[in-house]
Amino acid sequence: MTTVESYAKFSGVEAAPRGLIGGAPAAPSGAEGARKYRREPGFPVPVLIAPATLWLAIFLFLPLISIFIFSFWQPTGHGMTPAFTLENYRAFFASEGFFDPKHADFLTPSIFIRTLWSTFRFTITVMAACLILAYPMAYFLSMQVEDFKWQLSLFLLVMVPFWTSYLIRAVAWLPMLGRHGLINEFLMDIGAIEEPVSFFLYSEFSYTMALVQLYVVLAVGPIFFSLAKIDKALLEAARDMGASPFQIFREIILPLSLPGIAIGMIFIFVAVMGEFATAVVVYGGKTSTTGTVILSYYVTGNYPFAAVNAFMLMVAMMMGVIVILRVVDIRKEL
Amino acid sequence: MARSSPERRRKARVKFGFSVYYVIFLIFVYGPMFAMFTLSFQGPRGGVTFPMRGLSFYWWEKLTGPSAVGDLKASLVRSLILAVIVMVITAVLSTMLAMAFRKRFRGSAVLFYAIMAGLMVPGTLLSLGLATLLRQLGIPPNWWSSGLAVHVVWTLPFGFLVMMAVFNRFDGRLEEAARDMGADEWTVFREVTLPLILPGIVAAGLFGFTLSYDEFARTTLLSGAQNTLPLDINASMTQRVQPTLFALGTASTMFSLLMIGLFIVVYTILYRRAR
Amino acid sequence: MSYESPLRVPQSMWSRRQFMKSTAAGVAAVTTSSASFLRVAEAADGLRSIGLGVSEINEIQDKATKDLGFPVAGQAMGYGEMIGKMLNQNDQYEIAEGYYHDLAILWPAKVFQPIDTKKLKDWDNVTNLTKTGKLTPESQIGQGAAPFTMIYCDENGKRQQQPSRYITMTPGWHNADSMGYNPKATKRPIESWSELLNQEWKGRVGLLNVPSIGVMDCAMAIEALNLKKFGNKGNMTKAEIDFMIDYLIPLKKAGHFRAFWENFGQSVNLMVNGEVVLESMWSPAVAAIQAEGVPCIYAFPKEGMRGWHGGLAISSKVQGKQLDQAYEYINWWLAGWPAAFVARQGYYHSIPENAKKYLEAAEWDYWYDGKPAAKDLPDPFGTIIIKKGDIRTGGSYWKRFQIAVWNSVMDENDYLTKRWTEFLNA
Repeated sequence: MTTVESYAKFSGVEAAPRGLIGGAPAAPSGAEGARKYRREPGFPVPVLIAPATLWLAIFLFLPLISIFIFSFWQPTGHGMTPAFTLENYRAFFASEGFFDPKHADFLTPSIFIRTLWSTFRFTITVMAACLILAYPMAYFLSMQVEDFKWQLSLFLLVMVPFWTSYLIRAVAWLPMLGRHGLINEFLMDIGAIEEPVSFFLYSEFSYTMALVQLYVVLAVGPIFFSLAKIDKALLEAARDMGASPFQIFREIILPLSLPGIAIGMIFIFVAVMGEFATAVVVYGGKTSTTGTVILSYYVTGNYPFAAVNAFMLMVAMMMGVIVILRVVDIRKEL
Repeated sequence: MARSSPERRRKARVKFGFSVYYVIFLIFVYGPMFAMFTLSFQGPRGGVTFPMRGLSFYWWEKLTGPSAVGDLKASLVRSLILAVIVMVITAVLSTMLAMAFRKRFRGSAVLFYAIMAGLMVPGTLLSLGLATLLRQLGIPPNWWSSGLAVHVVWTLPFGFLVMMAVFNRFDGRLEEAARDMGADEWTVFREVTLPLILPGIVAAGLFGFTLSYDEFARTTLLSGAQNTLPLDINASMTQRVQPTLFALGTASTMFSLLMIGLFIVVYTILYRRAR
Repeated sequence: MSYESPLRVPQSMWSRRQFMKSTAAGVAAVTTSSASFLRVAEAADGLRSIGLGVSEINEIQDKATKDLGFPVAGQAMGYGEMIGKMLNQNDQYEIAEGYYHDLAILWPAKVFQPIDTKKLKDWDNVTNLTKTGKLTPESQIGQGAAPFTMIYCDENGKRQQQPSRYITMTPGWHNADSMGYNPKATKRPIESWSELLNQEWKGRVGLLNVPSIGVMDCAMAIEALNLKKFGNKGNMTKAEIDFMIDYLIPLKKAGHFRAFWENFGQSVNLMVNGEVVLESMWSPAVAAIQAEGVPCIYAFPKEGMRGWHGGLAISSKVQGKQLDQAYEYINWWLAGWPAAFVARQGYYHSIPENAKKYLEAAEWDYWYDGKPAAKDLPDPFGTIIIKKGDIRTGGSYWKRFQIAVWNSVMDENDYLTKRWTEFLNA
């Protein structure tokens, strides 16, 4: 619905709408009025989207097309030549003996597909953890804190670690989690354990925890915004009508905050899918994400295969985003 | 309307519960920073882990003095300048885009996913693609041109999504009313829309700043002869990993906290004056 | 007040035109200023050098600027970024401070130009390690990409296997790597590569995570355990790679490896934090670890060491005045001051006598001659890292430098990367 139509709807057919300051000439009401507003309200769309579109066209799409083209070229061991080949894609999807019934790897998907899949599975875990942690935080900031000034300050306080270089923050985990780190020393001091627990660091546990800690802030922001815009009057009204806090949450707050949740999840999904650096610091490099694979082939100059992995990673991310947006249609809410 | 006392008490308990959660959450997010903060005062013979070998300002002095590899001070300045420029561009462009998306227009779905693509392209490959392109054109990469370009590509989707959340169910009636009164678009925007969406713009800008300041993978081939801060930190880690890094981390945290404190003070003053 | 006519042209046109103009102006400004920057950079003289933090050290480039009279700017970066930049942006640097085994990738890409040894003042004094692979007549050459197999070419850049006038890269700093261990934790000396896979150290072993280097360590260990004899550990066949990976995967699943490291600092942290007792290691790490009070000895395995060799290459885009300056810089390196600088991190130079000129007698004795340190010795930045009486494991340069295998980029590199990915995901 355009603003004009919604305006006409809200204003009602019978009552003449009043301007901001009483006494302004009333607009003709109803459909007749809508027809008179032939001009589009707001700035013209082409103007609004032109700079960004141009920027993206030059600095995103041209390189993206290059990458796509690279993925079909022949790797030469030190770069690539423009010879069209589908071999890179075959190598990505199918392991060496895929089509050979006698081979041990018959019908086995390649390590690269499996890596993509495990990256994806892991990302979902991190997303779930972030959602569980971030939602109450956003709720607190938007509902419980009254003053806007404090809302923003407390929110910024949570964002501050984000402004410390990511590499430094990842390295900072080591003194906490290591065999002689703070946590182990503390647990040994109070006699809870005899030997240092090695599982705290260089394990899937530390990897998950570090990722959640690094990215959870990304989810707090959008959810906070969605919640902050909920009209308090709605909640008042529901309370007055006798709704329990749970009902209010389930029926009103949760649905209205869905766009924020969707956006937060998109951020985290995309960020964690593309991850490769945290595993090196906190997992001791003992795992490979698709990001790691891309980097490995990039370093040896095999750009075509790196491009294939990059492209497939993008496809996976795009699919994930589309799914999230099917579940929560942000644009419909607009 | 009147609230019964038990109701008020219940609300107070809930609020308390949430506040406790906030503090725990804060500790979780800051967590390792405490270790970092303590270790930045590590003695000269100590390393990046406990135990502390004495207390000193040694590593802080090393931060301000010349560094062995790279130039942390200069790259810090570059990263800050770059982040500020990216912040402004992100805020402006994402606001413009989100405003356009308030209406249905042809190709809006395509544009939407085009913006999202900036989130999804793996950084190293984007950097390679753009660097190759620039090479063909004979344009040298530089942190303030190609570095800037690719940072905005990365931050734009974030800012855009934030602004979309802000405009979500945005009440356009006030704007309509202003138009009724004869205001032209610029005035409508300046007087009505802008104040309402300002927190969102600030948030989008902050995202832009933070993401640019920390950006690594995309910048690798595109920063030219001079490293940005994350590139320099990574380079210095090929030599040593020293508590100087922690001094840097602590310094930037202190700086950010100071900025927040300043914000509260300024805001309070402005508000009091408005009242 | 009347309604605005639908033709509110002036305002919107102003806004639209302003937008268009400012966007166009912005794009134009960026491109022309970068183009003019380019012209400025070409007109200026001086050298831009890229490499790892191993050789791109501010003190070195600053001294070069002072001694040579033209600006030398160094840019340190991580390993992957370095290869990326060397391969793709050879108009952005004049000097590449790289590594001989990477030439397998870099030289065919034609990003470097052949260097004329006649213009190198001290070429005759370069040791035979670089020229023939034998430091002393009794030395073994070592498998893999030994520098002398990568260094010769003709004036058009075609690689040669016989000594020739032109070379690909001037020899610089090099070293023999092995493992480092904490003697207090292991309670006995480590003398063989096989210890890396020894169950006794389960969960306390660290490994280097760069396939072209770390894989070699594993191969040495497997061969030392007499499980398999490799034809050429520096260039393994698919079957050999399969054998090795298939052997390693169960070990990883059982938790044998504590962590893999990618850069120098990580290896230091692992040992200092007590996470590992034994790991593949680069030699300066030993000093750094000892400096933090943790005992650490650099092993001298009986099977031999793993060698690597760095050097200076000139971008193929360099010509004229800058080319002369590039040769001056290279000659300055060969003449010894920077060699002495990095010697204090344990790296050797291809013209030891030149490094000797700039080292104190006590330093020369410790680092090159394998004698006990006559006094406390500093690292390049002044921190004392060697205590009086310490001795360099393995002895003198000539005794120590027994290379079993050199860092290499194998023919089956892609296959290796694929299987290594499997290993990492196990």
